[in-house]
Amino acid sequence: MKLSLRWKIAGGFGVLVALILALSWITFSLFGSLRSVQRKVFDDALPGLIAVDEIVRSYTAQSAAVRGYLIGSQGELLAQYHAEVDVTDFWEERGRALFNAREERDLLSQLVEAGGSFQGLVDEQVIPLAEDGNRSQAFRVLGQEGTPLISEIERLGSLLRDTQDRVVATTQEGVRTRSNQTVIILLVVTIAIVLLGLLLAVVLPRRLVANLSKLVEATRAIGRGDLDQQIDIRSGDEVEELAVRLGEMQSGLKRLQQLALQDRELEIAASIQRNLLQRSVPEIPGVHLVPMQRQANLVGGDWYDVDAHENIITVAVGDASGKGIGAALMATVALSALRAERASGATPKMIVDRANSALRDATDSDSFTTMLYVTLDCRSGELIYLNMGHPAPFLLRPTVADGLTARGYFMEGARNRAVGWFEDPGYQETMVKLDPGDRVILFTDGFLEAKSADGEVFGDHRLAAALTKLAPLGTDVIAEELVREVESFAAGKLDDDLTMLVLEFRGDPQWRSKR
Amino acid sequence: MAQQKIDIQVSDQDQYKVLRPEGDLDVYTVGSLRDALGSIVEEDSPRVVVDLDSVPFMDSSGLGALMGGVRRLREAGGDLAISCTREQHLKLFTITGFGEGVSIAPTVEEAAKGFRNE
Repeated sequence: MKLSLRWKIAGGFGVLVALILALSWITFSLFGSLRSVQRKVFDDALPGLIAVDEIVRSYTAQSAAVRGYLIGSQGELLAQYHAEVDVTDFWEERGRALFNAREERDLLSQLVEAGGSFQGLVDEQVIPLAEDGNRSQAFRVLGQEGTPLISEIERLGSLLRDTQDRVVATTQEGVRTRSNQTVIILLVVTIAIVLLGLLLAVVLPRRLVANLSKLVEATRAIGRGDLDQQIDIRSGDEVEELAVRLGEMQSGLKRLQQLALQDRELEIAASIQRNLLQRSVPEIPGVHLVPMQRQANLVGGDWYDVDAHENIITVAVGDASGKGIGAALMATVALSALRAERASGATPKMIVDRANSALRDATDSDSFTTMLYVTLDCRSGELIYLNMGHPAPFLLRPTVADGLTARGYFMEGARNRAVGWFEDPGYQETMVKLDPGDRVILFTDGFLEAKSADGEVFGDHRLAAALTKLAPLGTDVIAEELVREVESFAAGKLDDDLTMLVLEFRGDPQWRSKR
Repeated sequence: MAQQKIDIQVSDQDQYKVLRPEGDLDVYTVGSLRDALGSIVEEDSPRVVVDLDSVPFMDSSGLGALMGGVRRLREAGGDLAISCTREQHLKLFTITGFGEGVSIAPTVEEAAKGFRNE
């Protein structure tokens, strides 16, 4: 069950509060019942005892007052007798209100009846006889009939008192039992609450602490670099959530670790590629060559190669499809094949054909390489090139007016197909005769495909215009300046390699003199 | 290189399927096209026209995937034709020489007429 930690704590606290409220209620109700028992003793049994005593006492007092009157004929004693009769009436009335049990009622009515008989005897026989002067007869009547009635009254009073004593005894017993029960119930409930409290205070936090310890252990292990921690926590609360997130973090770290490893491998690849690509450009009289390469990533698919042999300079520029390691490996294959074949003294067609075969063998059918293979006779200015599916080279030819400005156009010569895909891509060459001051610009498609923020590409029109505009700045800075323009066009976001070689034919006098 | 997905609408014509990628076809998104073509290669005499009119930009990776698709589909007894009116892509086919031998036309129907292996 999913239950957040907040609700577990709130729930536990709620249960505890409910138990405390229950305990309070039980305590109050138990004390309430004890009080009701006590009230029964004080409100019923004790007043009952007093009433019985008062009734018996008042009859005895009536008897004593009448006797005194008979002996001394004192009027105040007769008045005292009448006063006691009122007292008796009062207490008999109280008695009727207090005694509810059938036995008590019977005894009281017998007592009242006996009392009534005694008062009837006194009022109807004893007092009239005494008033008539027959005191000795009155005394005898009182002695013979009144005394047994008083004795009966005392006996009934005693019985009635016993019933009240029993009530007191029973209620005292009740109080004792009830208070024992109260103590037991309170004890049981208290123990239950304490146990529940312990359960909440010990068991729940213990689980929490155990789960947190698992997490701590796991994070320690992760800290040591062990990223295979299995964190199995099913508490349904935030701790489980934390364990899940930690698991995800672990996978993320693993991925990062792999990436770091890949980065390291990539750096090695980059270093190999740097060594392979960046060869010093040979110095050849009559030609000024400025290479520029800007890789979008650590490794890339763009490459170039320059070689000079006697008066012939060979420049090859290639662009392997795709990006990253795959493209870099293709570049390596193409360059290796090209260099090996050239070293054997083969013709440009044979060299490019060798590169085509090597790439076809080495790569899948989604990959290809575009290439320009250019040879320039530094003596004659005769430029021959093979265009293997590559953007056409650009020619900047100085205008006669000032020698600085230039006209520019793409050298749309014979086109062949990209290498690495067709068995025979075609090897048609194009020949152009260069004049001193001509600059041939070889470049890769990164310039054409640079995209602006709204998705527009730089394209060949912008490239032609930019190169023509930059021509007066000189061979050394054209490529760098162009890169700056393309970067600003793409708002700094270039994700393809940029390679450009500016080949200026000067027609050095050294060759001319030898011609 | 983080791979991204682009939407490729696939519709069935009588004799062939039409794939309509929507978005740039470059090194980041080309996997989607390669996967889509890969699942068509599994079919009997698989023929497909790829409509490039909803592809604003295509680089050498996109072109490579298309050419790889041509080779694989032909090996499986089918073919891949391209429907495209975008100058930029047509130029790319011309420059690389990949336009030769592949049926490229302004409409899907015309492109389908050029299927080999009929």
